[in-house]
Amino acid sequence: MTGLYDVSHRHEEGAATVARHPVPKGQPILELRGLQKKYGAVEALKPASLTFLCGEIHAIVGENGAGKSTLIKLLTGVIRRTSGEVFWCGQPVQLSNPTEAIARGINAVHQEVVLCPHLSVAANMFLGDEMNNKGLMRKRAMTAAAQAVLNDLGFNLPAAATLSSLTIGQQQLVATARAAMRGTQFLIFDEPTAYLTRQESAQLFRLIRRLQGEGVTIVYISHRMEEVFELADRVSVLRDGTHVGTRKISETNDAELIALMINRTIEQIYHKETLPIGATILETRGLTGPGFEDVSLSVRAGEIVGLYGLIGAGRSEFALGLYGRQPVRSGEIYWQGKQVEIRNERQAMNLGIALAPESRRDQGLCLNLPIGLNINLPVFDRLTSGFTINRRREIDNADRQIRDLKIKTPTRRVLASAMSGGNQQKIVIGKWLSHGAKLFIFDEPTVGVDVGTKAEIYRLFARLLEQGAGIILISSYLPEVYELADRLHVFRQGKLVASHGYRGGSHEDVLTQAIGV
Amino acid sequence: MTVEATTEAAPVPKRGMNILFGLTLLGLLLFLWLVLGFATNSFWTPNNISNLLRQGAMTAILAVGQTFVIITAGIDLSVGAVVGFASVAVAWLLAAGVPLWLAMIITLLIGVLIGAFHAFGIVRMGLPAFIITLATLTSLRGIGLLITNGSTISITNEAFTNFSRADFLGVPSLFWMVIVVAIPAYVFLHLSRWGRYLFAVGSNSEAARLSGVNVNRTIYVAYILSSTCAAFVGLLLASRIGIGNATQAEGWELQAIASSVIGGTSLFGAVGSVQGPLLGAFILATINNGANLLNVNSFWQRIITGALIIVIVYFDQLRRRGSR
Repeated sequence: MTGLYDVSHRHEEGAATVARHPVPKGQPILELRGLQKKYGAVEALKPASLTFLCGEIHAIVGENGAGKSTLIKLLTGVIRRTSGEVFWCGQPVQLSNPTEAIARGINAVHQEVVLCPHLSVAANMFLGDEMNNKGLMRKRAMTAAAQAVLNDLGFNLPAAATLSSLTIGQQQLVATARAAMRGTQFLIFDEPTAYLTRQESAQLFRLIRRLQGEGVTIVYISHRMEEVFELADRVSVLRDGTHVGTRKISETNDAELIALMINRTIEQIYHKETLPIGATILETRGLTGPGFEDVSLSVRAGEIVGLYGLIGAGRSEFALGLYGRQPVRSGEIYWQGKQVEIRNERQAMNLGIALAPESRRDQGLCLNLPIGLNINLPVFDRLTSGFTINRRREIDNADRQIRDLKIKTPTRRVLASAMSGGNQQKIVIGKWLSHGAKLFIFDEPTVGVDVGTKAEIYRLFARLLEQGAGIILISSYLPEVYELADRLHVFRQGKLVASHGYRGGSHEDVLTQAIGV
Repeated sequence: MTVEATTEAAPVPKRGMNILFGLTLLGLLLFLWLVLGFATNSFWTPNNISNLLRQGAMTAILAVGQTFVIITAGIDLSVGAVVGFASVAVAWLLAAGVPLWLAMIITLLIGVLIGAFHAFGIVRMGLPAFIITLATLTSLRGIGLLITNGSTISITNEAFTNFSRADFLGVPSLFWMVIVVAIPAYVFLHLSRWGRYLFAVGSNSEAARLSGVNVNRTIYVAYILSSTCAAFVGLLLASRIGIGNATQAEGWELQAIASSVIGGTSLFGAVGSVQGPLLGAFILATINNGANLLNVNSFWQRIITGALIIVIVYFDQLRRRGSR
């Protein structure tokens, strides 16, 4: 095994069938041929062919939703491919479950730490592979061994400490040490520096280079161009689930990579009509709250205001703050010229703000309840006469939205969980159409939605604008906000860092502002 | 996991299944009655039927209140203790010379307060429902024992104690109380928007909140209803046994939860009805009653009840999985 610290004895049985020693340096260790993943009609990863060479650091870049996480999940056996072949050291393999991936030496360090916060650092490093003596855990031996590994890696971390007492960045280092310790031959880092300080990043980079020196193949996924250029030998670009190219790092530059990450398919399904812009509906001045700072912007009737940024840039937090879900700390909100305070969701709704939130599953829908109930949820007070709900109006309202939005269901009594992503999004939208609003906030409305439904959603935007509403469109998909928004604001690290008019600035400019190269 | 496939396989109207499940339970109840009618001479006697209806009535009312809470994905472990405490409260008030109507209203208000306290603990203090209601379970028994100094308070008000023995149209008045509770409960849960909100909060409280549902208020409503139902049962119990005693109704919370679950309520929230727990309560009462008539050791009754819960909920799970 090539791992740095092969203190584990785990893969003894399973490993017998697996090539013990990987291929020589520079030869293909993992080869993907036409690897594809479909969720129903949605193609999350279009047939991709990619080769990873033994001992290289291979960066993967792409916008949110480009298919990076799908690729990682396929490689680590979390999900199963729809079609295509995978070759490990020249042998075809299934990678049908995480155990198989780990047994072959494929490991991943995730952006969000997936360890047990209540256990000690050492216990986490040995989790599932504890040293024992006739069934009794050798706690002291494990702590000592873990400490030796940490020291050797140059991480100044106490092995006996509880994991949750460390910062997220330190926990990330523990996760890396854990993977390094386990005879890993192929290690995937998914945006590992997102929560790390500069110093911690430097430690991590040293570790990555050291692993590379030991012959471990590294896949490094990041938004940060400077890291890609600092670390990687080669870089592959994903766009809309397509692998659009692989370059040697010495033969490319950021401009080329950013150009590869961008495309223009959106024009084919959306035709923007210019509508007269009306009066200002909403204005914020210096709005500050959890996750966003000093945001000043306005929305007028008949326009789409786009908010672009990477995930975690503060756009959704701003939306939740505006909607009264999270308390705003300072700043002012003006609604149709009058200063207002929005302290809870009801107040926002009563003013005329609707929010189709980021996560349909967690925030948008009551999944194990019928479609009809979901659609009617914001308007039950209007459907009530006396003490009871007017059944006729309840049914009519749900059926009308189902019909108007072409939600594909035989009846309103089907549970929302049974619907596809696109139809679920329509249910969330239907809820707000029946309620009505002056300002619609759509947070990532087309994630996991097929092209046909996307086009329908865009047409719906046009209809709302014609009726004199304003729209805030939050999207991590640049072509979408770029083509749809009359004004586009770029968020980075909780701040509004740049603004453009309709199609102002190039894709390259906008992406560069969002990434902050 | 193909999205398309689930879209086509899914369309099973939920209401139809609920009615079917209700019928299955009703079928089970009638089946038990038939079998007991054949197996014993005394089952179908007016005396025994009245007795059965009285036995089931109190659990049924508790189960309906409990169901409101379980639908919000919560649990109320305190109801048995509230019953005992309410019996002490009404007995103490009557002994102190408070007029009957006022004593009853005050007792019900105590139920409201206990429920509000539970919701306060959950909403404001962030305590799990299991913990806060477990805490009141033991505290209320303690307070009741302190008030009575560990003994019982006799109730001398005849109008009050006669009520539980009385019949109306040949049906025990205690059973009428089930109807008095069940009809408004049905209207509330199935016909009013409040009921919809209970389901929405139990399914996904964040989605409900973002849709303008006042989640906190909904939780208050659920727990207040549960405790008030329990206080009401406390009045009925005091009337039936003629005393106030803090240790009465031991373990009734489990009876109530069992009835609710047998009646199709999901402990994960967002699934439940009013008719289900009523049937569940009378199924349990029938089993106990039948076991008594058949001279089955009362220890066995507990074992049978436990086994029944497992069997019914297991079949319910199968049904749900089948419909997905």
